[in-house]
Amino acid sequence: MSRFFYRYISPLALMLIWELASRSGLVNALILPPPSGALADLVKLVLDGELLKALWASLYRILCGFTLAVVIGIVLGAVMARIRLLDLLLDPLVQLLRPISPLAIFPLAILWFGIGDASKIFIIALGASFPVILNTYAGVRCIDPNLFRASQSLGATSTEIFTSIVLPGSLPHIFTGIRLAWGISLVIIIAAEMVGASNGIGYMVLEAQQTFRTERVFAGIIVIGLLGFLTDLGFHWLRGVLLPWYRET
Amino acid sequence: MDAAASTRSLVRFEGAGLTFPGTSGREPVGVLKNIKLEVNAGEFVSIVGPSGCGKSTLLALVAGYLAPSAGRVLFDGRPINGPGRERMMVFQQPALFPWLTAAENVGYGLKLRANRGACTSVDERVAVLLDLVQLTGFARHYPSELSGGMRQRLEIARALAVNPQLLLMDEPLAALDALTRRTMQREVLRIWAATQKTILFVTHDIDEAVILSDRIYAMAPRPSTVREVVEIALPRPRHRDDPEITRLSRHLSSLLE
Repeated sequence: MSRFFYRYISPLALMLIWELASRSGLVNALILPPPSGALADLVKLVLDGELLKALWASLYRILCGFTLAVVIGIVLGAVMARIRLLDLLLDPLVQLLRPISPLAIFPLAILWFGIGDASKIFIIALGASFPVILNTYAGVRCIDPNLFRASQSLGATSTEIFTSIVLPGSLPHIFTGIRLAWGISLVIIIAAEMVGASNGIGYMVLEAQQTFRTERVFAGIIVIGLLGFLTDLGFHWLRGVLLPWYRET
Repeated sequence: MDAAASTRSLVRFEGAGLTFPGTSGREPVGVLKNIKLEVNAGEFVSIVGPSGCGKSTLLALVAGYLAPSAGRVLFDGRPINGPGRERMMVFQQPALFPWLTAAENVGYGLKLRANRGACTSVDERVAVLLDLVQLTGFARHYPSELSGGMRQRLEIARALAVNPQLLLMDEPLAALDALTRRTMQREVLRIWAATQKTILFVTHDIDEAVILSDRIYAMAPRPSTVREVVEIALPRPRHRDDPEITRLSRHLSSLLE
């Protein structure tokens, strides 16, 4: 009871003070609308279907870019970890491109792929692939070399070693990379939609700000927060399903 | 075991040596020098020597993980060329696949393309092997859920799955506590007798080697050479307090000190 109480009392108190401050006119409701206003607007957005449309536009871009990032990241990370020549050739490229914010590439992406979905998918695929590459690489390098020897002795071909040792052995690390990639995808899409898009959650928030519907700005922020929170719960569950053998130490 | 089978040479080192080239200006490292060693089919042969005397390297040559830089290492009369199913390694720290259950670890080799059709039913063969190493109740456990001795037995079962002629055991019992170790020594002998495999066994425990082996190669370190070969014709099971066993142990100890 008391733990429950302490856990929820501070956010609830903050909401209450915020609500009172905003309603009493202590702060300008245009700058800081009451939480009840933001929730009411959220309900309205859900009911008239606008939220679903915006959410789908954003999720579509995220899913495409994220999937590309995961596939590219696993393949590149794994071959770099296993083939020394490719490691030597590709590592400088990865290290050079990695510190560049994907958003800095966005103007170029628009120039190349237009203002539509493709430019956003491109920068997500680019930005989100790095954590997958680096974690896959580390995961493969962490595999006990005797596992490769054992499987060679048992008669495994190099393809069989890749699918039966390299991939499952690095899966815990790959999973961490995928989770980071998802978080990065969420950050990139909101920013990109604020810079150049005509729909999506990021666009919805920016448009609300420009038309002084501040409660909608807050409603959008709540949706973004919930999306991140719920998908991370999903990843946590998926980890238990995919890696029942894995014990975190 | 019939006399003909026990005299067929399975492993032969013909003056084999291994020197690792010196990297970044350092001197080359001689690990093994002019090794002459013979293992006949069906025998239990041990290699004893102090730590760092190249015992594991010697096994890696037979397994095909390394190639000699001088002389030859033959298996069944032919030079060894890479790893192969007829020579299976049992590692000191079990190299089990942690993402596979005990049964899946044993079945792994049988499901590889190279071994398809080696047995009529993978499940049946896995069950037989798990029974042989007394892990029947643990088929669905992951390696992380097994004790040290159980992991070692599981690794032996996985190696036996592809029906090798030779088991290479690299200090397989070194990581176990003293009690489990005694039990596992009996287990290894039981499995050896039940499967009629040839075993090349590396240990730094002289008593263990004397209790288990038909022949012992005592190694001298850096670069490693064979110091003495000891044949032991005593019947098994052998007991530590048998005067002949004690005499052999003392003799080997004095050699290695």
